[in-house]
Amino acid sequence: MTLLSVQNLTVQVGDAPLVKDVSFEIQKGEWLAIIGQSGSGKSVTASAIGRLLAPNLKAQGKALYNGKDILQFGAKEMRRLRGTSISYIFQDYQGSFTPFHTIGRHFEEFLKAHFKLSKTQRREMAEQALVSVGLQPEMYTRYPFQLSGGQLQRSSIALALLTKPDLVIADEPTAALDSISAFKVLRLLADLQQETGCAMLFITHDLRHVRKHADQIIVMKEGAVVEKGDKQSVLDQPQHAYTRSLMTASPSLSAASQLLKGDDTSCVYCN
Amino acid sequence: MTSRLTINRTRATKVFLSAFLILIAAIAVYAFLILKHDPSFVDLNERLLPMSWQHPFGTDHLGRDMLTRILLGFQLTVGYGFLALLLAVAIGVPIGVIAGFKGGLVDRLLMRVADAFLAFPDTVVAIVLSGLLGAGIENLLLAIILVKWVNYARLARSTVVTERQKDYITMAKINGLSEWRIMWKHLFPHLIGHILVLASLDLGKIILLISSLSYIGLGAQPPAPEWGVMLNEARPYFQTVPALMIYPGLAIVTVVLFSNLFGDYLRDKFDVKKEVAE
Repeated sequence: MTLLSVQNLTVQVGDAPLVKDVSFEIQKGEWLAIIGQSGSGKSVTASAIGRLLAPNLKAQGKALYNGKDILQFGAKEMRRLRGTSISYIFQDYQGSFTPFHTIGRHFEEFLKAHFKLSKTQRREMAEQALVSVGLQPEMYTRYPFQLSGGQLQRSSIALALLTKPDLVIADEPTAALDSISAFKVLRLLADLQQETGCAMLFITHDLRHVRKHADQIIVMKEGAVVEKGDKQSVLDQPQHAYTRSLMTASPSLSAASQLLKGDDTSCVYCN
Repeated sequence: MTSRLTINRTRATKVFLSAFLILIAAIAVYAFLILKHDPSFVDLNERLLPMSWQHPFGTDHLGRDMLTRILLGFQLTVGYGFLALLLAVAIGVPIGVIAGFKGGLVDRLLMRVADAFLAFPDTVVAIVLSGLLGAGIENLLLAIILVKWVNYARLARSTVVTERQKDYITMAKINGLSEWRIMWKHLFPHLIGHILVLASLDLGKIILLISSLSYIGLGAQPPAPEWGVMLNEARPYFQTVPALMIYPGLAIVTVVLFSNLFGDYLRDKFDVKKEVAE
C-alpha cells in the first residue's frame, strides 16, 4: 500500500532548479534510502515533503500522502500531519534541541501540543520513549549540553517516534556521529522501525548504511533521480555510470583485497 | 600578573560603585519615609542656606531643601529613564522578533520603518515633538521611545535571523508548536542577555537626554525636582552658590557612570561584544 507518492517534484530558487522532476513512492513500512553526494538535492527533497523549505524556495509537483497532496495542505492540516504522521530526525543532533530547555521539556511541549493528557501521563510517556531508545529516564531532566552526541541523537529518535508516525524522514542522522555511535544509532533505528512498522525515508551518502537496512534505493545527482529500484538490483547491477562510480568510491574489504593483489586496474585509487 | 590586577581593580570599582548606587537608590525610593521636608515647600526666609543638620545639602533660591529635591529627583529622572527604556524594549523586541522570524515582506516592511526612525538623531526628534505637542515630560518620553525602540528591534532581529535557521526551530515547527510559542519560548530567551547589556548602556544615555532637554526647558517643567530642571534653576546663582549646580550635576554624573559601568560589566558577563558594538 502506497504511503507517500512524490510526483514530479521540482524545487526552484529563482529560476535555478535545485530538485528536478523527482518522482518516487514509499510503501507502508518500507525503508527507502536516497543516496547522492553533497548538493544533490536529497535534503531539499526531504524538506519539501514536510513543507520545511526556506521561504525563497518554491516547490512544484505533488506529494500525495495517503492520496492527499501535502503541498496543498492548510496550516492546521499541516500541523496535525507533522505532529502525528510524519516526523524528522536531523543530522545536527546538537542543533535539534533548544539549548536552554531540558530534554524533557521538548517532549512535554510536543505532547501538550497534540494530545489531551495529564501531566503525569505525559511524563510517563516521555520516560518510556527515552527507555525505548536505550537511555535512562533520568535524561528527562538533563539539558542538551549535558548529553553526548549519541545520547542526543537517541533522544531525537525517541522524540520522532513518540507519536508512532507512519513516516520517519531521517536526514543523515548518523553523519555527525563517530562510527561506533553511528552504527549503534542505526541499529536502534532499524529495530524501532521493525517494532513500530513505520516507513523510513533515509537520506545518506554512506553506502554501508544502505547495504544493510534499505529496501528501496534512489540515487540522486544534481537534483535529479538517476537510478531507482530495490536494493539488490541497484547495488548489484547498477545501470547508471554515476551509481557505479559511487560504488567504487565506497571502499569495501573485498575491493581492498583485490587492490592488494593488484588485479583490479579499474579501481579509482590506482590512478 | 599586571593584567589580573587591573581586572580586579576595575571589578572592585564596579562593585563599589554599584553598592554605592544601590544604597542611594534605596534611600531615594524610600525618601518619603525619612525626609521631613516637602520638596516644593517655599520659604523665602530660608533661601540659599549653607549645609546644616536641618538641611544637609542646604536650600535653593526658594528655600526648598536640596537633599529632598535631589533624592526625589532620583525617583523622577531615573524613574522616567527606566519607563522610557522599558517601553522602548517592550515595543522594539517583539517587532524585531516577528520581523526576524517571519522574514520576507513583513521583515522588509518593519525594517524599513525602523530605518526611517533611525535616520533622525534623538535630540532632533525630541525638539521637534516638543515643538509640535508642547513641552512636557510625556512628550519627551514619547520622543525617546520613538527613537530608541529601533535599536532593540534591530538587535532582536539579527539574533533571531541567525537562530531561526538552526534545526531546533525546524524541530519545534515539526513538533507542531505554535509560532507564538516558538518565538516566545525558543527564540526570545536567546535575546535576554543582549537586551540587558544594550539596555543598561542605554539607560545612561536616556537619563542624560531627559536631563539635558529638561535643562533647556523641553522636558520636565520647573516645580518638578528633576535634575536638569534644578540645574537650570540654579544658573543665576552659579557664582554665588555653586553647590546648587554641583549637587544635581554630581547626581547625573554618578547615575550615568554607574549605568555605563554596569553595562560594561553585563557585557563582559554575557560575552556579547560582537553583537552590541557600542
